[in-house]
Amino acid sequence: MIKLRAPLFITRHVLFALVVGGVSGVVFMFFLIEFDHFTSSNEFCLSCHSMSYADDFYRQSVHYNSPSGVRASCGDCHVSEGIIMATYDHAVGTKDLIKQLFGPDYDDPVVNTLHLPEAAFAARDWFRKRDSATCKRCHAQEAIMGTRANTAAIHQEDAEGKTCIDCHINLVHRPVPERLTFKREAWNAMVEEEFGLEPGAAATVMGEH
Amino acid sequence: MSCHTKSSPGLAEQWRGSAHHQAGVNCMDCHQADPADADAITHEGQVISVIVSPKDCGRCHQTELDEQSGSVHAEAHAIISERVPALAHNLTGAAMQAAGCDQCHGSAVKVRGDGSLDPATWPNSGIGRINPDGSKGSCSSCHGRHAFSKAQAREPDACVRCHSGPDSPDKEVFEASKHGMIYKAQHEAMNLDADTWVAGQDYTAAPTCVTCHMGAAGKVPSTHDVGMRNAWSLNTPVSVQQYLVVFEDGDKLELPADQKPPKRGTELTKADGTTGKVKVVAGPDRRRKIMSMVCLECHGKNFTESFMDQFDAVVALYNGKFGEPAAAIMQGLYEQGLLTPLPFDEPLEFTYWELWHDEGARARHGAAMASPNHAWWEGMYLVGRNFYSRFLPQARAVAGDAAGELIDPVLAASDHHRWQSSPDAANPILGWSPLPALEPGPSEALGDADQSGKAPQARVESQVAEPQTAAPMTEAAPASEGSGND
Repeated sequence: MIKLRAPLFITRHVLFALVVGGVSGVVFMFFLIEFDHFTSSNEFCLSCHSMSYADDFYRQSVHYNSPSGVRASCGDCHVSEGIIMATYDHAVGTKDLIKQLFGPDYDDPVVNTLHLPEAAFAARDWFRKRDSATCKRCHAQEAIMGTRANTAAIHQEDAEGKTCIDCHINLVHRPVPERLTFKREAWNAMVEEEFGLEPGAAATVMGEH
Repeated sequence: MSCHTKSSPGLAEQWRGSAHHQAGVNCMDCHQADPADADAITHEGQVISVIVSPKDCGRCHQTELDEQSGSVHAEAHAIISERVPALAHNLTGAAMQAAGCDQCHGSAVKVRGDGSLDPATWPNSGIGRINPDGSKGSCSSCHGRHAFSKAQAREPDACVRCHSGPDSPDKEVFEASKHGMIYKAQHEAMNLDADTWVAGQDYTAAPTCVTCHMGAAGKVPSTHDVGMRNAWSLNTPVSVQQYLVVFEDGDKLELPADQKPPKRGTELTKADGTTGKVKVVAGPDRRRKIMSMVCLECHGKNFTESFMDQFDAVVALYNGKFGEPAAAIMQGLYEQGLLTPLPFDEPLEFTYWELWHDEGARARHGAAMASPNHAWWEGMYLVGRNFYSRFLPQARAVAGDAAGELIDPVLAASDHHRWQSSPDAANPILGWSPLPALEPGPSEALGDADQSGKAPQARVESQVAEPQTAAPMTEAAPASEGSGND
């Protein structure tokens, strides 16, 4: 008769450590899931006042107001799928928190709008690097029919070699030109006009940071 | 292109049938842009601009660009930019500038900081559009995109979008002229699709707008400077003959011909305030001569010259009888503070505006392009009716006591208004005419004829007595025009 015995190095202490480690590992995973979930929510993102400007445009967009009731939250688009990548994105995202705390006063709408283009460029790069993965959580390219006659054909034949973000920019947030054609002076002039500032005031604000 | 064939098949198909397509000119040849361009945007990995400006077209069509730049068409926005606030903003509202004025005269296209084109200024294909690249004009104003059909641009209809309506009814004038009538009847013979379109060679049936104002005819080369052959300004309170000054950099300027012509090589201030060196000056005679050479392809020399004489006589009549006196009266009223400097806050200002801008322009255009109906009924008849039945009575009311100083001398300065001092000159045009005055003897004998015989006599007496009563009458009824015209 064979008697199953634990190897000798499994002492009582080791056994205890394994159980505690395993349980706390599971707890930690649950924590991460919940943490990623919570930090992807609109409530969390909007707990910074500076995010309310992004929210204003988001609420006007079809990603907020879709006829079917499907609504994309901040994290649906801006946080990757999967616990590892989601955690990574959040870890990287802490630099935004640091900038919010110690950087320019993003709560000021002028400062916020002046810095928006760089944020938009970074976000587009992020989408492009991931082959627009978060778009594809909801949108299946082969299922895009559109309301116009040839939308489906365009998304099959003409979209080859392209990723969603290559064509679809400025869908949700305030429109910003692509980096290549962006003109800082024109953007500054627009902000000055919008907020009733003296010409040149925007450059001064930008220079302060 | 593959996308646009699906998403906007109309424009793709137009391009496919165009001469551009045949010549291998594709989207990017026209729409390419430099990232530094104010209106550059990224599109499918390319840098493009939505607006194709004359400068862009000039990459291939250099001659046309040179001719067009500085022309009255290219300057159409600049010409009225000072006037627009009074009509479009004060009288109506700013929305009218985008939907009205700017659609013909062109907008100053504004690119916003986010790269979008300001909807207050775009879409727009007005012919004097100020483009984001600084060039002026819009080729698509006449050459409809994306077919860019030669035949379409040669049709009179190419001009109709702007040259119609009360102030420059050139569509209506042309249609009502013999030229327009024959054009319609002989449309098949117009050879509008021809490669070259020289009047007298490629077609002889009838002229269109293009023929006289731009087209090649005999030895006269074609030009995209549409105002070059115009000797007169016709859309001004008083018409003047003008020099066409061409600067060394290709810019142009029109100057009244009653001044001395600027010499070649002198520095002159351009319309936009910058200075330039004069390259060549074309006097009104030279401009008229070029226009007349087009006529000569189909008409005799005497016919042509006499027609131009008739036209000039109408302009001179308008100027001398209505344009100059009305302008002088208005100036007097403004200078005396009897009218506020603000335009269109007094009824007289509308009356005067319509006198020269609508009715007066119509009369002059009608005479220029041989529509008797527009020269007279739609034109000078209305000018006369306005002048005597609205303008003068209103001006007198505004002038009050000053009428004798501000209005009467102006009218007395020429013979044009002397007819009003003969109120007895009977004419049956209104369906009534006094019976001929009878001899005193028989009229007393015939009881019935007595009344009609006396009436004209009484009128003569009142006329004689008028000089004494004139002043009190003016005071009592300032709106009356009864006293001042003799």
